[in-house]
Amino acid sequence: MQLFERIGTFLGIIFNLVSDPASVAILFGSVMLGILFGAMPGLTSTPGVALLTALTYSMDTSLAMVCLLAIYVGGTYGGSYASILINIPGTAAAAATALDGYPLARKGEGGRAIGLTTTASAIGTTISMFFIVAISPIISKFALEFTSFEFFLLAFFGILISGTLTSPDLVIKGWISGFLGLFLACIGRDQLQFFPRFTFGISELESGIEVVPVLIGAFGIPQIIDVLKDKFQIGKAQKLQRIIPEIGTVVRNIPAIGRSALIGVGIGSVPGIGEDIAGWVSYGTAKNTSKHPETFGKGELKGVLASETANNACVGGAMIPLLNLGIPGSPPAAMLLGALMLHGVTPGPMITFEHPTFITEVAAILLLASCAMWITGMILAKQVVKVLRIPTQIFMPIIGVLCIIGSYSLGLNIYNLYLMLPVGIICYFLTTMGYPIAPLVIGVILGPMADENVRRALMVSQGSFMPVFQRPVSLILFLIIVLTIISQFGWYKRLMSGIKARLLGVLRRP
Amino acid sequence: MLEKDTLRKADIFSGALMFLFGLFVVYQALQMPMKDTYGGVQNVWYVSPAIFPLFIGAIIALLGIALTAIALKSVGLQQLRAVFGYLTSSELVAFLKQPATIRFYAIVLVFSSFIFVMIPRIDFFPAAVFFLMVFISMFYFDDDRLLFNIMLFFIAVTILLIVFFAAGLDALLAKSWNYPGDWLMLLCIAAFAIFAWQLVKDQIELRRKYRICLLLAFCAPFTVGIIFKFLLLVPMPFEGVVVELLDTIWYYDY
Repeated sequence: MQLFERIGTFLGIIFNLVSDPASVAILFGSVMLGILFGAMPGLTSTPGVALLTALTYSMDTSLAMVCLLAIYVGGTYGGSYASILINIPGTAAAAATALDGYPLARKGEGGRAIGLTTTASAIGTTISMFFIVAISPIISKFALEFTSFEFFLLAFFGILISGTLTSPDLVIKGWISGFLGLFLACIGRDQLQFFPRFTFGISELESGIEVVPVLIGAFGIPQIIDVLKDKFQIGKAQKLQRIIPEIGTVVRNIPAIGRSALIGVGIGSVPGIGEDIAGWVSYGTAKNTSKHPETFGKGELKGVLASETANNACVGGAMIPLLNLGIPGSPPAAMLLGALMLHGVTPGPMITFEHPTFITEVAAILLLASCAMWITGMILAKQVVKVLRIPTQIFMPIIGVLCIIGSYSLGLNIYNLYLMLPVGIICYFLTTMGYPIAPLVIGVILGPMADENVRRALMVSQGSFMPVFQRPVSLILFLIIVLTIISQFGWYKRLMSGIKARLLGVLRRP
Repeated sequence: MLEKDTLRKADIFSGALMFLFGLFVVYQALQMPMKDTYGGVQNVWYVSPAIFPLFIGAIIALLGIALTAIALKSVGLQQLRAVFGYLTSSELVAFLKQPATIRFYAIVLVFSSFIFVMIPRIDFFPAAVFFLMVFISMFYFDDDRLLFNIMLFFIAVTILLIVFFAAGLDALLAKSWNYPGDWLMLLCIAAFAIFAWQLVKDQIELRRKYRICLLLAFCAPFTVGIIFKFLLLVPMPFEGVVVELLDTIWYYDY
């Protein structure tokens, strides 16, 4: 599609959505719901997207995307409320925001901080939208050259990198989690020969594991158990003054915003890595490049700006691999993938042929969602803050009912519930023992892709693995995978630090 | 997440468990057709349905061993006996009786009973009301003694329901009375309302929480249920006396 044609389509989609009262109502309603989900400590945009997926089942794809992207954007932003006002991040993505947001609120500048996070989040989402439009055609064109070997290696890389970067403890646990997800994906009849695998004679397992109940179980149930078991109490919120959009501060920090947005988009586009990492990396970079790093952690506006711009830019970043390769960039994006499949849209390199305007539509929706988020944030922030007064013991059981009815309604199958609860309890234990959940979910989603592609590739090559080394993209992916694995070994780290020390020694020699 | 020291000790077991699980996956994969025929199709090893599970199982087993090895190295062999000793010690019993652990049992019990016993057999609305009444009051009252009492009540109701359905009483009573399971659930709701009131009636703050709990337990399922059932046209998992009543009201020709 030519540039002007694409701009025309983009504006046309925006006009269509804005002129439809139902779309506007759904847009603002979903953003609001997302902000509420994000603001409530213990809830994140992932269960928000998961639960709303059930409600979008009867909508058309476009309206469903408005609903889901709006809650994703709103949820990512909403986490900043609890971070700033009670020093407890509403979501992991807003954890870095608390470092400077809460000191600002204690100084009586809570309204200023929330105004800044609102504007920064809107800018981050908007910048990431440009990247979706600009980068997608390139990646899509590039991905069309991929063969089965590349897709297998890409799926494998996605699981490894997600396991490596999201593990709160040993990296090996992230990898185990990813492979457990791949195992779950093996359950059911295999796609090539229709042979039942790991079904143990249970007919309900023959069609495989449904992704949505697994996602709801994996993200919803552990959160409910965690919050209620440990008697999580929300602290007293700091007073919120008038919300100021802080346009002046934003304008003065345009280079920093650009850098944070780039970090957010970059991290978001790495498979399985979420908004939390983007927020921390961006915050760390802002602190390291600041002339006054000592002010960070004491109420520095640049700290708030950095983390909030990056975590919302991550939303668009996560959509890039999702739409073009079918690989989710973050846990909520994994949920979106499930929702897209329910609506008959299969993301991947063929998306530009099967649904030529879909990527432009997603970009347009993101732009509208960021506008809706900004307006809602500016007008309703004081009302949203009231949600922080609701005891977690009240809303968590209700979230439990939503998880149950949500899992059931997708497929109208009670067996989904029998799957959701055990998955949730297992995931709770895994989380307690330091295993990250995101790689497991990515594994469940990428499993069928990896399985089918490795066998198809071997079929084409008559059982030979040599094409991996003969095709440049395969070889690069293979080398990255090997490097990702060996970089975790002690001997490799010692070797690299030895080489680094020698190089420094050589450079310092007169 | 656990503390780092405890985590390493737990890793010995979780790594070993992963190793065994990996072996199980490999064993199961080896039972799948490799080079023989399946469904009239002559197989070759590289298109066998076993290839991918074999690969995954082997990697899980290897990673499990590696995790155990890392944990053993960190904990030290001298400490190993103490780690295994913990499994037979009174410390473990004390851990299993801790308030936080009991809260965990309560959550799992409430969810399990709701999903496996109530939802497939009882109208969604009364089942969800009962689930929420019990679940919210357990934690919102913020008293471990009350939580334990409520949990015992819930266990008694769950056993009653299991016996009721397993003995075929629902089918027997259904011949003369529609939806006997739903009526039993409504009785349980009333019984719990009285039981919980007896627990809290002497404390003003708890009485306030009790009222909120009742209000939410009734409002939430009806709001959520009506959205799904009548606006999204999602049939409830089991439709009984309340859904029939709501159907009559919703579809009444005014």
